[in-house]
Amino acid sequence: MATYVTRRLIQTIGLLFLLSILLFGMVNLAPGGPLAGQGQSRHIAPEKAAILKRQFGLDKPLPVQYVIWLTGNDWMKVDTNGDGVPDGIGTRKGILRGDFGFSFRTRQPVLNEINLRFPNTIYLMSITFIIALALAIPIGILSATRQYSIFDIIATTFSFAGQALPEFWLGLIMILVFYAWLKNPFTGAPLLPSGGMSSADSFVLSDRISHLILPVATGALGWIAWYSRFLRSSLLEILPLDYLRTARAKGLPQRLVLYRHALSNAMIPLVTLIALDLPYIFMGAVFIETIFAWPGMGRLYYQAAIDRDYPLLLAVLIIGAAFIILSNLIADVLYAFLDPRVRYE
Amino acid sequence: MFNKPRSLFFLTCVIISSLVLNACGAIKVTSTPAATATQAPVSTQAPVVVATDTPFAPANKNITIVIPEDPPSFNAVIAYTGYDAMVMKMTLLGMTGIDPNGKIYPELAAELPTLENGGVVQDESAGTMTVTWKMRNDIQWADGKPVTADDVIFTYKAITDPNTGTWIPGIDSVDGVEKVDDYSFKVNYNAISTSYLTLFGGEQVAVWPAHYCDATQGFSAWDCGRKPLSDGPFVLDEWVQGDHLTFSKNTNYYDKGKPDIDKVTVKIVPDATVRKQMMINGDADINMWTNETVTADLQKESSVKVSISPNDRFVMRLFMNTAAKGTTDATAKPHPILSDVNVRQAIRMAVDADTISQQIFLGFSKPVWTEFFRPPYNQCNITRPKFDVEAAKALLEQAGWTDPNNTGTRECHGCKTGAPEGYKMEMQLITYKEYGEPILLTQQLIAEELAKIGIKLDLTTVEGSVLWADSKSGGIEQTGNFDIDLWDDGYSGTDPADFISQYYSKDAITPDNGWNIARWDNTDFNNLLTDSYTLDATKRQSDFCQMAQILDQQVPMILLFTTIDADTYSTRLDGVQSTVNDVVTWNIADWKVVK
Repeated sequence: MATYVTRRLIQTIGLLFLLSILLFGMVNLAPGGPLAGQGQSRHIAPEKAAILKRQFGLDKPLPVQYVIWLTGNDWMKVDTNGDGVPDGIGTRKGILRGDFGFSFRTRQPVLNEINLRFPNTIYLMSITFIIALALAIPIGILSATRQYSIFDIIATTFSFAGQALPEFWLGLIMILVFYAWLKNPFTGAPLLPSGGMSSADSFVLSDRISHLILPVATGALGWIAWYSRFLRSSLLEILPLDYLRTARAKGLPQRLVLYRHALSNAMIPLVTLIALDLPYIFMGAVFIETIFAWPGMGRLYYQAAIDRDYPLLLAVLIIGAAFIILSNLIADVLYAFLDPRVRYE
Repeated sequence: MFNKPRSLFFLTCVIISSLVLNACGAIKVTSTPAATATQAPVSTQAPVVVATDTPFAPANKNITIVIPEDPPSFNAVIAYTGYDAMVMKMTLLGMTGIDPNGKIYPELAAELPTLENGGVVQDESAGTMTVTWKMRNDIQWADGKPVTADDVIFTYKAITDPNTGTWIPGIDSVDGVEKVDDYSFKVNYNAISTSYLTLFGGEQVAVWPAHYCDATQGFSAWDCGRKPLSDGPFVLDEWVQGDHLTFSKNTNYYDKGKPDIDKVTVKIVPDATVRKQMMINGDADINMWTNETVTADLQKESSVKVSISPNDRFVMRLFMNTAAKGTTDATAKPHPILSDVNVRQAIRMAVDADTISQQIFLGFSKPVWTEFFRPPYNQCNITRPKFDVEAAKALLEQAGWTDPNNTGTRECHGCKTGAPEGYKMEMQLITYKEYGEPILLTQQLIAEELAKIGIKLDLTTVEGSVLWADSKSGGIEQTGNFDIDLWDDGYSGTDPADFISQYYSKDAITPDNGWNIARWDNTDFNNLLTDSYTLDATKRQSDFCQMAQILDQQVPMILLFTTIDADTYSTRLDGVQSTVNDVVTWNIADWKVVK
């Protein structure tokens, strides 16, 4: 196993390197660019565009831009004042040394921008994830053990709805119902806030929780539907198997048969699925964060894409790619850990 | 085996850690010590104040402004999103401001320098000028230090730093800025600058504190651009990225008794529907820049008022390429259809701007047919072209564009553009998607209207960053890879000369050297444009009117109608006035909470 993990990690480095070339090329070669009108200006004045090109490093050929993005420019002479003559050593260290550059929009280090949003996304998405799991597993079990019961029919209906409803629509409906229509009977204020992380200046737990309800509910619904359906199918395949019939014939209580023998096997593919979804916890959800004004990674990525903020966009993409690759690795390892029949040599 | 308790413990730790990190995520701004004003106020020309006094003293004088995205910084010069200008106006002053009617008023300046008061001295033989500014001596930074000429010179040096500086309109004409004394300085120009009054003011430029900002960090990236030291009506208390900014009253603000508002919260709410609902629910007091639909909806709410700028800025336009598609030299390779002025005139006659304005833009637009429609240069007598489909058809017939086989699309039969015989009148009409549904409907309607005169349009929608990118990035317009484009633009400030130059001058034809994407070249126009850079207002007006005549006859671009510039606000507030010359917070010190 250790050899396998080491080999996968080495492959990961190579894969990330290839991905870095691919992502850098795709982002930079896409039509348009960051110098096309900012904000109120449809165009940037040519004089300003020339300065920005130099300051952003866009005046260099693309392969040189890639090398600088990867390795920095503190080993080469650069033209800092735009007179065409290299006059000093650069200050960039490159992503290999943890320098993702500065945001074109804010001129702040990219990692600062990410650090400000990353905890917010983990905060929202991990709670969403836990609640989704906490509801999906019992629903999946009950649906499987009481197949075609009223509960199963209702759960199945909601599951299909949960999978079918787009988040941006559901989010807006949630706001319409719980913010615009329903009022707190005691205060007359909206039942729930429309968005944001808090409305109080200081930390108030009830305020934080009230701000979580709508985005968590919107985000969790899809996961609940997906995981509960998956677990139901998995259990329905396992429950009629001989080894469970044998366990029951030997007098083992149904609860033990179900939870110790059936569920542990049914959970194997679900755990793999959950591991593959882990990157969402770190990278956020664009629609939920946008509709509920949640200052997370998804919105940061979206804004960077809209603004053609290449350094920020590339940083989010590369970090996201690394999370996906690592999640795949975790899924593979977990699979072997949960299922003794699987062995990686 | 999968250890559930351990995993749940891990996830719980993650949540608790993120909550702790979350609490640390905000930029907390250390409050600066307030100092007592020690100098007597100097009399100045007061800016327009639109608030009315009320006898009430509401207990809650806190307001909330909603905007869709974080301001990039407090320095509007850098990204110019408008949201940066909005927070800049709350905290920082420039030498001057521009009121909604286009009148420039002094902020840090004690008076406006003019030829008449000796503040401006021209050397007509050399074509240069010197402007001497006198500053108010009663304005202080929030830490009690006075705002002086040193701060202006510091700002100038930071902007023009070759390594870390940037470019602002008019800066190329400046040779240097000299200190005269603590409260006056001299700007030496190497040319006649007609926009000298807004060099260190207007919508975008503020004066920065020399003793507080770190020049080594550079004008574009310095920390004081995110944690500014105020000399404006409010000080920044906290900025939680992506969530909100909070401001409190600057107790050291020079205009005693102002601002009336105690605290301002700027909430970042990306979704327009949610911002609208927050206004209806009373959770927001200002919704900055509402589009036509939201404005029309909020107009019906009793708790919301709408402020529309008394003047307009952005105009919906049809940009027509007179060079062959994919080229940028209209003389060498003229456009097979649009290089004929008769065709351009016919298109102008066939588009019903009034219908589009009323039906799609909900009546918030006004028809525009000349670049010189804004005060103070709206004095030219240019007759509005008629909407006349039959006349448009006749003009095309005369120009050699006919439809002998009744296919619905005209062909060249004797046309004068060099197009081959039988060449069909088929073109592409491109617009950008960010404006939303109104522009897409306008594009469709224009296509239908031009189809009635035998011009077939293929409709395309792209992102603005693709349409307006530089030629190296494959920008559609800079590479000339279009027939007709539809989008809106207008100039900030009150001087149209630079804007006109960028769209119509010969120099601006060269790709990436301007936006004369029509590749239209007219010698008389260029001469008039050069002559218009004068401080003689009468001559300028005359030059502009002659230029307007040429543009009206040659039609290098078709101007259709203005687009809305509106802000919606709560009836709790009084004094809010939308303006195209600045952002809504331009007069926030004058706002009053009346409920």
